[in-house]
Amino acid sequence: MKVITQDALKAWLDRLASETTLFAPRTVDGIVLYRPVASSNEITYEYTRPKMSAKEAVLPSTDNIVSIEKHSQDVTLSEPALEKKQVIFGLRPCDAHGISVLDAVFIGREPVDLSYARRREATMLVGLACPQMWEGCFCTSMGGAPDDPRHVDVLLTAVVGGYTVNTVTEKGQALVAGLDLRELTGDVPPVTTGGTEGGLPPERWPERFADRYWDLLAERCIGCRVCAYVCPTCRCFDVRDEVAERRAGFSRYDRLRCWDSCTGPNYRITAGGHNPRPTKGQRLRNRFFCKFYYMLQDYGSTGCVGCGRCIEACPVNIDIVEVLQEQVARGKKQEAQAEVTA
Amino acid sequence: MMGTAISNQQSEIENPMRPYLGRLVGKKELGTDIRLFQIELTEPAGKTHFADYRPGQFAFVSALGVGEAPFGITSIPSRGELLEFGVAKLGSVTGALHSLEVGEMVGVRGPLGNWFPMDEVKGKNIIVLGGGIGGAPLRPVINSILDHRSDYGRLTILWAARTPSLLVFTDEYETWQSAPDTTLHLTVDKGDEHWKAAGRSEGLITQLLERVTPSPENAVTITCGPPIMIHFVSLTLKKLGFSLDQMWTTLEARMHCGIGKCGRCNMGEKLVCADGPVFRQDQVAGFLESFL
Repeated sequence: MKVITQDALKAWLDRLASETTLFAPRTVDGIVLYRPVASSNEITYEYTRPKMSAKEAVLPSTDNIVSIEKHSQDVTLSEPALEKKQVIFGLRPCDAHGISVLDAVFIGREPVDLSYARRREATMLVGLACPQMWEGCFCTSMGGAPDDPRHVDVLLTAVVGGYTVNTVTEKGQALVAGLDLRELTGDVPPVTTGGTEGGLPPERWPERFADRYWDLLAERCIGCRVCAYVCPTCRCFDVRDEVAERRAGFSRYDRLRCWDSCTGPNYRITAGGHNPRPTKGQRLRNRFFCKFYYMLQDYGSTGCVGCGRCIEACPVNIDIVEVLQEQVARGKKQEAQAEVTA
Repeated sequence: MMGTAISNQQSEIENPMRPYLGRLVGKKELGTDIRLFQIELTEPAGKTHFADYRPGQFAFVSALGVGEAPFGITSIPSRGELLEFGVAKLGSVTGALHSLEVGEMVGVRGPLGNWFPMDEVKGKNIIVLGGGIGGAPLRPVINSILDHRSDYGRLTILWAARTPSLLVFTDEYETWQSAPDTTLHLTVDKGDEHWKAAGRSEGLITQLLERVTPSPENAVTITCGPPIMIHFVSLTLKKLGFSLDQMWTTLEARMHCGIGKCGRCNMGEKLVCADGPVFRQDQVAGFLESFL
């Protein structure tokens, strides 16, 4: 196993910052976030999990997908230029897992979403293993692990005097080429690969659909949508045109793709006013069914990586782990009742 | 050529979120606040993509600078290059479309979604049930049958709206009725003076359906309208002896991509855009989540 010293790492990051857009954990007003940095000195090296996931780097919260220019009667459409290369350093394995779920939606299912694919192609992921599970984390119940190397290009793990460097993909090889790496003397840190899949098996979710539980849970939901915004895999979006520039004989509009969430009250309302999901219970149920059932059916990937951010962020303490445990318990209860009646 | 194709692993892929430009060349009143929009695509790539769309497919139409919304395509390619959409003025995009002048530019993205099984239902009697603006995606079904009249059995059209002024494609009724082995039945929920004076049918499409009593033998139904209408039409058809797998429908949902990405239009695990919008009623009955 190769290692890189802290100094060599910083020199590498400084180079990456000058050659690419480097996203890295950075402390902003006391909160750690993945943010573009100009130098390795701006990076926070010891952190738990950043407050927001890294999805912003590949799916910005507001993204211009097409620009519309009108010169009196003439209209031209243009798209943003090809993305500059970007590197996400310090990516936690759960957040890398989250990006793989986004890949399944935007690239894995035809047609390929070009805006996403273009940016994703230009993105390299340098993970930093978590030294431990943090409060509220449950990646090992969602098939992940604190040092899961599967979804990154390079995985670093902190050891005494530096970091081990695990080059996972070809992209990763190109990225570490020419680095001053040394052989690790002493013990190689153990790698935990995927943990167990937690919760109710997918095929048992449909039977939980009609449960009154969702309405009860939703009594305290305020539909604030923060759970979706902090989630590494929630990708629902809205598209709208906004005026960017307007002068005599000329106007320019940006067609913007913006994050949205299925727990918002207006999410499904059509222009005629029809809303097929009018209650909070129905909307909250959709959130959990999407993550643990629909996503698997539609994109072959579970929509939860166990980062625990939604638990931390929810103002009314809706806890996704509790929801999963409750589904298991209710499933068992239903089985027991079925046995009694049989 | 579009500025969109980029080289991606040897194959050129286009941006599915970028509309094709087109010019509004015709605008006709279909009813109160309902208009037919005729669009001529101006980019070669757009023309190529729309060379061979099918009855039941939809497209996003952009009021450029305001937004885009999905609409069933109401034209068929064999009758000409113009794309036609029947649009009811209901929200911001439809409002902006209604205020466009002929000659102005629009965007069109598509064709999207699946289509009615026009080939599989050849030789069968077809019952078409349209409610309000839901008639728009059915017009290509009717016109396809009329253009290949001998390929299909009896054509029965049940056409409904809330009021007479909301009945769409009224100037085509004569053509439909005069086609061989084709009947048109109209009803409105509430008639006006003229309607009543002419002694025409008042009541819901389900009541009309019970009076017409089409035979389920060697027949399929194709329905579009508000969700509640689709639901009750299917119940009435069941009463008349139709099985769910004889009933086809097309569903609508709010959507922002049309290509299975935005997550907006799911009904359970089914995406209206990517798995539909055309579904058979037994599929609809199997949805985990109701479309109502």
